[in-house]
Amino acid sequence: MRRTAARLGLWLLVAAIVVFAVFPFYYAVVTSLKTGSGLFRVDYWPIDATLANYLAVFREQPFGRNILNSMGVAALTVAVSLALALAAAYACARVAFRGRGLLLMSILSVSMFPQVAVLSGMFELIRGLGLYNSLPGLALSYMIFTLPFTVWVLTTFMRELPKELEEAAIVDGAGPWTVVTRVFLPLLAPALAATGLLAFIAAWNEFLFALTFTLSNEQRTVPVAIALMSGASRHELPWGNIMAASVIVTVPLIALVLVFQRRIVAGLAAGAVKG
Amino acid sequence: MAEVTLKGVGKRFGATDAVKDVNLTVADREFAVFVGPSGCGKSTLLRLIAGLEEASTGELLFDGQRVDHLAPARRGIAMVFQSYALYPHMTVYDNMAFGLRRTGLDRQGVEKRVKAAADTLQIAHLLDRKPKALSGGQRQRVAIGRAIVREPRVFLFDEPLSNLDAALRVQMRVEIKRLHAALGTTMVYVTHDQVEAMTLADRMVVLNDGAVEQVGAPLDLYHRPRNRFVAGFIGSPRMNFLDVTAGGDGTVALAGGGWLPVPAAERAAGGQPLALGIRPEHVVLGGSDLEGRAVLVERLGGGTLVHLELADGATLTAATDGASPVRGGEPLGVGLPPPSCHLFDGAGLALEAPP
Amino acid sequence: MWSSEPPAAASPLTRARVRAAWAFVTPMLAVLALVAGWPLLRTVWLGFTDAELAGMGDATWVGLDNYRILVGDGTWWRAVGNTVWFTVVSVALETVLGLAIALVLAAPFPGRGLARAAVLVPWAIPTIVSAKMWGWMLHDQFGLINDALLGLGLIAEPVAWTADPDLALWAVIAVDVWKTTPFMALLLLAALQMRPRECYEAARVDGIHPVVVFFRVTLPLIRPALVVAVVFRALDALRVFDLIYVLTSNSEATMSMSVYARQQLIDFQDAGVGSAAATLLFLVVAVFTVITIMAGRLDITEGAR
Repeated sequence: MRRTAARLGLWLLVAAIVVFAVFPFYYAVVTSLKTGSGLFRVDYWPIDATLANYLAVFREQPFGRNILNSMGVAALTVAVSLALALAAAYACARVAFRGRGLLLMSILSVSMFPQVAVLSGMFELIRGLGLYNSLPGLALSYMIFTLPFTVWVLTTFMRELPKELEEAAIVDGAGPWTVVTRVFLPLLAPALAATGLLAFIAAWNEFLFALTFTLSNEQRTVPVAIALMSGASRHELPWGNIMAASVIVTVPLIALVLVFQRRIVAGLAAGAVKG
Repeated sequence: MAEVTLKGVGKRFGATDAVKDVNLTVADREFAVFVGPSGCGKSTLLRLIAGLEEASTGELLFDGQRVDHLAPARRGIAMVFQSYALYPHMTVYDNMAFGLRRTGLDRQGVEKRVKAAADTLQIAHLLDRKPKALSGGQRQRVAIGRAIVREPRVFLFDEPLSNLDAALRVQMRVEIKRLHAALGTTMVYVTHDQVEAMTLADRMVVLNDGAVEQVGAPLDLYHRPRNRFVAGFIGSPRMNFLDVTAGGDGTVALAGGGWLPVPAAERAAGGQPLALGIRPEHVVLGGSDLEGRAVLVERLGGGTLVHLELADGATLTAATDGASPVRGGEPLGVGLPPPSCHLFDGAGLALEAPP
Repeated sequence: MWSSEPPAAASPLTRARVRAAWAFVTPMLAVLALVAGWPLLRTVWLGFTDAELAGMGDATWVGLDNYRILVGDGTWWRAVGNTVWFTVVSVALETVLGLAIALVLAAPFPGRGLARAAVLVPWAIPTIVSAKMWGWMLHDQFGLINDALLGLGLIAEPVAWTADPDLALWAVIAVDVWKTTPFMALLLLAALQMRPRECYEAARVDGIHPVVVFFRVTLPLIRPALVVAVVFRALDALRVFDLIYVLTSNSEATMSMSVYARQQLIDFQDAGVGSAAATLLFLVVAVFTVITIMAGRLDITEGAR
């Protein structure tokens, strides 16, 4: 009897947690399927569902372009940071060189920088490089938060690889570059996937730099586009469109999270750096 | 094929000396085994030869040529690791070919050598598999195969059998010995297992606390240990040690009051305290040199171990045949045949019997 | 961790390895210096000048003028207060709720993997999107929250959650708690799962009360992970920007230090004051970090060999 009660209590708690976590997104989906006056009525499930908002988002503004921008910036950010971080992580995890502790500390301290603290300097740098209002400029600025995180996590994973494996490769005549690319890279594939995914999500979600370093609608990334969506008048926000756009950019992320749940948690636990 | 010479080799890690002033020559085609308790520096010494560690002092020569400053791959060595260290993402074939390809050998050459090595080790049917699809013994063979294909001047083994179960360990031990006979390459083998060392070695190097205690053929070490450490380390069960006093006339006084003539005792002055060592298999039950009582009898089938408590409280282990009728608690006389007795002075050095 | 540094007279092979290490680290370091080191130094310097956003090149040195402006600006102090209050309250709530959720999810039940994935959803949703979603749910006229509370009779008339200065910061905190608690819960869950089972079996054999077990066994065991999670969350909360900017725009009632600095810098084009404010935020974060590390609670180099 007591066991059953405990079971029931546990299930209720779990249900409450899941509803707490998922309901706002569910409500966004419900809202995104409504138009006109239906928007101003609170419904807990879709009534008269229509995809009109989803079409409107793409018709009324360059949202397709915004999505491509976000993908491009995030992909570029991930590719460059993984390449740089992989090499650096090998050195940090595998070679005892003077100043390694200091180096790791500085990398970690960069991950604590408030983005705003570098905003004016970064603004000047990006303009100086002629990258203002451009996607490569954004990708460059994103290195400030993806690099420390990827270096840190990959160092953690790289340290776990058996020392004898590297020694076997050294006896086999492999130099550091070969060790990294031919022996460690294939073994780190899962770690790279997890780290890359986290960096992708971070870049995809970034707002402050994207808001500040882009000017035109065509160069904006998705978060900025959604934040700046406005209707006919200033006080009439197009909530249907905003919710449709929100669902569009969130569904892929949720899919990734569902598929890679375990790896993401492992990566976050290893890094415990960037929330 | 090469003769390996170490001259005054030492290795410091921070404040500790892992290896102290080792002078040693492993002859061409010889099978040398480094043996000692864990932490004795045997693995470090092997890694120094491999080039995975660099000596703090001293010189390392292969066939009289300095190799200290050569990268491991350019020393002409091959190494088999304790954990095998097979590349998990490569097939058996690629594992064996990885190092060869790095030498610039052409494709046919690589294939020929890998195939030949695989035939020797009877793993030709496994070439397409990944390491995780192999059993422990098969992985061990692949690790050896990866070493063979390099056609090294010196083979280095770092406790290669310690991850295998007991039955497989015996089988692989035989195969490694056979391989040595077939290839005739210099081999240096590290183990903490003295049975492995005794069976494989042409020459054993006993290490303790970073220094060489004794070098010699296995039976030399067994019969003529140079000091108390080697005497205790070689042989299983361990040698018994009893406190005795030299009589000055080629005899020693036993704790029980009896006198025992031991040839080596001539080297000691009268009254000098000594340790008398005798292996359990040399102790004779039913003798009259000492009186004791069997406190524990362990029957192993083929043999019996009798643990005795002597009159003065010292303990002594005797190995006797499996059919021995001794029972626990029984009072027993013990005989110590003088030719099997070793004597060690206060510093632990063995006293040599006069010729 | 510095014990394995190479000896002073490193041999050629070790030296070659160390050279390779530096070659591997240098590209990453160069990029980091470019996008973090240099902009930070420029920001600090600009904070002592009268720079305008349009022409930062011809800024002139004005000493501590910008800092004097900040000290005399009530809005700035409001922003500092908001940031600290937001950080303390939201991190405290997230820690307590996160630990509770972690304890529930640590219990074995079918569908646990799915529940965990569901809990990651708020974390994966872009902050902007969650701000918009909640902005809609908290809408004063058409919002679900008001509708539900009215229906339950808990409030008499609709509440302007994000516009009412007395409530806006609480709304921000609520949304942040929703978004970040699950992440906290999963980090703590990871720690909970590494607990040795023997401790619990021993406690059960000894008949210790579960509440005592929680405070005397569980908490000490997960304390390192808890401290790390709290510290990183706090550092993150101190620099909050996206959520506040989107949920309540430039409202003074919720303005954080980051929002204030950006407003000065971009909206008012005053790179001098904006940079000074940003520098102060950086100092706050830096001091907080140093204190944490000094307190020895956070061994960030742990396991770095």
